[in-house]
Amino acid sequence: MTIDDTVTGVDLCEVTVIVNGQLRRARTEVRTLLSDFLRHDLGLTGTHVGCEHGACGACTVLVDGTAVRACLMLAVQVDGGEVTTVEGITPDEGLSPLQDAMWAEHGLQCGFCTPGILCSVEGAARAGENVGERLDDLLGGHICRCTGYQNVRAAVRLYCAGGQEAGR
Amino acid sequence: MTVAPERPASLVGARVRRVNDPRLLRGEGRYVDDVHVAGMVHATIVRSPIAHGVLRTFDASACGALLALGPDEIAAATRPLQCVWLAEGQRQTEVLLGDRRVRYVGQPVGVVVALSRAAAEDAAELIELDYDELPTVADQEQALRDGAPLLQPEWGTNVAADFRVGDDAETVEAAMARAARVVERRLVIPRIVPSPMETRGVVASWDANLRELTVWSSTQTPHHVRDHLATSLRLSADQVRVIAPDLGGGFGSKEHLYPDEVMVSLASMRLGRPVKWIEDRVEHFTATMHARDAVHYARLGMDEDGRFVAIASDVIGNLGAHPSNVGTGPFRISGSMLPGPYRFSSAGVRVRGVLTNTTPTGAYRGFGMQEAAWVRERLVDEAARELGVDPVELRLMNMVREDELPHTTPTLQDYDSGDYVEGLSMLRDMVSKREVPSDANPRIRRGVGYGSQVEFTGLGPSPVQKIVGFHLGGFETGVVRVDPDGSVVVSSGVMGMGQGIETTLAQIAADKLGVPLEKVRVTLGDTKVAPYSASGSIASRSMTVGGGAVTRASIALSDKMRRIAAHQMEADAGDVELVDGVFRVKGVPSTGVAFGDVAASTWLGWDLPPGEEAGLEVKDMHEPANISYSYSSHAAAVAVDLDTGKVHIEGYWVTHDSGTVINPMIVDGQVMGGVAQGIGIALYEKMTYGEAAQPTTTSFLDYLVPLSGDVPDLVIGHTEHPAPHIPGGMKGAGEGGTIPAPATVANAVAAAVPEIAGKVLETPLSPGRMWELLHEAGLHDRL
Repeated sequence: MTIDDTVTGVDLCEVTVIVNGQLRRARTEVRTLLSDFLRHDLGLTGTHVGCEHGACGACTVLVDGTAVRACLMLAVQVDGGEVTTVEGITPDEGLSPLQDAMWAEHGLQCGFCTPGILCSVEGAARAGENVGERLDDLLGGHICRCTGYQNVRAAVRLYCAGGQEAGR
Repeated sequence: MTVAPERPASLVGARVRRVNDPRLLRGEGRYVDDVHVAGMVHATIVRSPIAHGVLRTFDASACGALLALGPDEIAAATRPLQCVWLAEGQRQTEVLLGDRRVRYVGQPVGVVVALSRAAAEDAAELIELDYDELPTVADQEQALRDGAPLLQPEWGTNVAADFRVGDDAETVEAAMARAARVVERRLVIPRIVPSPMETRGVVASWDANLRELTVWSSTQTPHHVRDHLATSLRLSADQVRVIAPDLGGGFGSKEHLYPDEVMVSLASMRLGRPVKWIEDRVEHFTATMHARDAVHYARLGMDEDGRFVAIASDVIGNLGAHPSNVGTGPFRISGSMLPGPYRFSSAGVRVRGVLTNTTPTGAYRGFGMQEAAWVRERLVDEAARELGVDPVELRLMNMVREDELPHTTPTLQDYDSGDYVEGLSMLRDMVSKREVPSDANPRIRRGVGYGSQVEFTGLGPSPVQKIVGFHLGGFETGVVRVDPDGSVVVSSGVMGMGQGIETTLAQIAADKLGVPLEKVRVTLGDTKVAPYSASGSIASRSMTVGGGAVTRASIALSDKMRRIAAHQMEADAGDVELVDGVFRVKGVPSTGVAFGDVAASTWLGWDLPPGEEAGLEVKDMHEPANISYSYSSHAAAVAVDLDTGKVHIEGYWVTHDSGTVINPMIVDGQVMGGVAQGIGIALYEKMTYGEAAQPTTTSFLDYLVPLSGDVPDLVIGHTEHPAPHIPGGMKGAGEGGTIPAPATVANAVAAAVPEIAGKVLETPLSPGRMWELLHEAGLHDRL
């Protein structure tokens, strides 16, 4: 393949996927990562890319309800499936209980890794898992360089305890 | 009592939620890779795959890109980047762009632009490159040897600068000669990669019509980037606008303009189109400045009673392939801050900054002070071990007492305020309340270690920056405006990068003006609207220097509104108070003029006292009178598994003093994050080079940073000694978590396993390294 093939799109394909409850259809290169597809083809920039080698967890999204690293999947792999990003776990107004707990406990500083953490924890909670018991496991898949994790753990505990009112 | 006071009625000292978090939590943050400009195309940087050589061929004729600029075109179109921190006699003071001589893996030699990032990377692969390779050297001590490969052959040496800090050699030697005991060690601080979660990136957009360049850049220093971009691209400063959007962390690595960012801007000017470049993580490990990498031959001299007499070090610092923006600055600050919180009659350091075939080293959280703490606090524990005394008692005995402050160190630091003894004593009390695990496993050893430090924050008086050769102004300007509807806008040249400065500046303005926090909007990061800030958000200075300016401006604006309200109520300004948004005459509740009405009439220019100017905007330029010296003491309790070498941190305690605390939640967050990075340095992080100076740790799978399970919940105690010379009394809070943490963890390891204490001289104390030390000490004989 030459550079002309790349830019003229001989390897383009169509991906049809439900993203955050909406049917989305876009033409993209076969080699496009799911993270780039969400960010650049669908404009969902809440999903962040920290390492592109599956180590940092910043790009974590839910695919058919399971937390995955979007930089380790191709967009074509989610064709026909369902993807939930941070935008999909955010209410129209205000914050979700998990987001509010993160805010209350100062569970974020630069906020770059935060969407991935939210997706991991929210995904586990939606799957009916005991998030409190799995805390180390869930957070173990995310690098946060700012917080030292202490307040992230505090936020998840507050969320598990039922939020600000129940927790205090 | 100096334990941080509660101030229930005040927004200063209040644990309020951060103002910009909801946006970030909703996934609505706008980082540089989220910036999209119509017509935008994408760049990739061509980098040297070899560590030393000459690029003979750069042939992009068949690559098919929209644009490919090689070294010669880049060199012809740009001026070199000037280093801003220059040591006496520094042999190299600028960095050429498009140099065909390559000196490290990752050095940028070209830029390629295509319709997508992937296409640009494809095109870059099709560029024909041919190098003549030269011998390499990655280690600074090897680079000092006769016959070592020379990076700048005309110098005849790899030493770019050789200077002293503090007392001269004769004075130091005389003091050491008088000492009853001298503890001497070779201590090493390896190379660290700051690793913010967001890599670097820029979007450059040249408007050929207006002849203006707009650059969105993930930077801590927008004005610095603007000035250097303009110079390098032969534009005038007014032609360049730099906008720093949300930053995904910086930690020092984003404190200047990098050559590749100039190349991307040049590409936009050539194409007349917006060009985006986002660094990838593997690229980041060689293209963004590293930090630390210093070898210290250090000595601590004391009298027969254990009173410290002198401290000295011969520092051999690895500059990398060329002096970075800050060059030998971190090694110099290691010298300046080597005395720490202790009394010495003499202190002196020789610094040699050495070129090697590695990525240049520069700023990172702790800037020279983490290295100084590693050296000093390990020496103190080694001294305690040799003397057979308690290391905390030895520290307390030698600390500069509160009644001795202000105190000038032999390295000419004018410590301002505080009580170091109080901080360490309070820490020891906190540690004594811990529950000691009752683990009967004899193969697990436990120990507690301590570390103390004084920190140089709030850079800094501009005259001091001149003395140390740091070619940037150290002042900050704050502009506070009350608009006609009563809303408040604060502008400052400092930058938010996750540390929460948007919230704390708003707290100050709201507190001084007497308005709710929600009324205040803080605008940062756009050189077209922000007041000039040469130094930006570095050196724990944003709150100290920038916050000092906002404090004074807010007070002046509040006073003006009070005068106007008093005039409108025909009262004396001294009798006017602001209650629930209404100015009243004290004791006369029937009077009143609303805050918003005063704002509206002042912008109309109506009903003003004689001589009072219309409008409600105050600009304050704050040039601090001194550095602000924060301080902290840390303690760690560790468990060492003799069989695996794993060090587990079971408890961690901090006492911290950063002057007046604006938001304790945010300061705690800074301490927690700082300690986590210090634990990373202590146990995991090290950038390494292999054969032919090839980097061998270029992913998060090779270069390990701490995860949640590696960092315990800290117990933090605050004391609060305001900076006497700073409006508001704040001192820097960003780095005191990182600085003493590696030494503290190592002292705990040494306490847990005394058999290896004398060998704990270098980080990281990774399981592999620990296992070796334990094995050499005969602790595996049982197996």
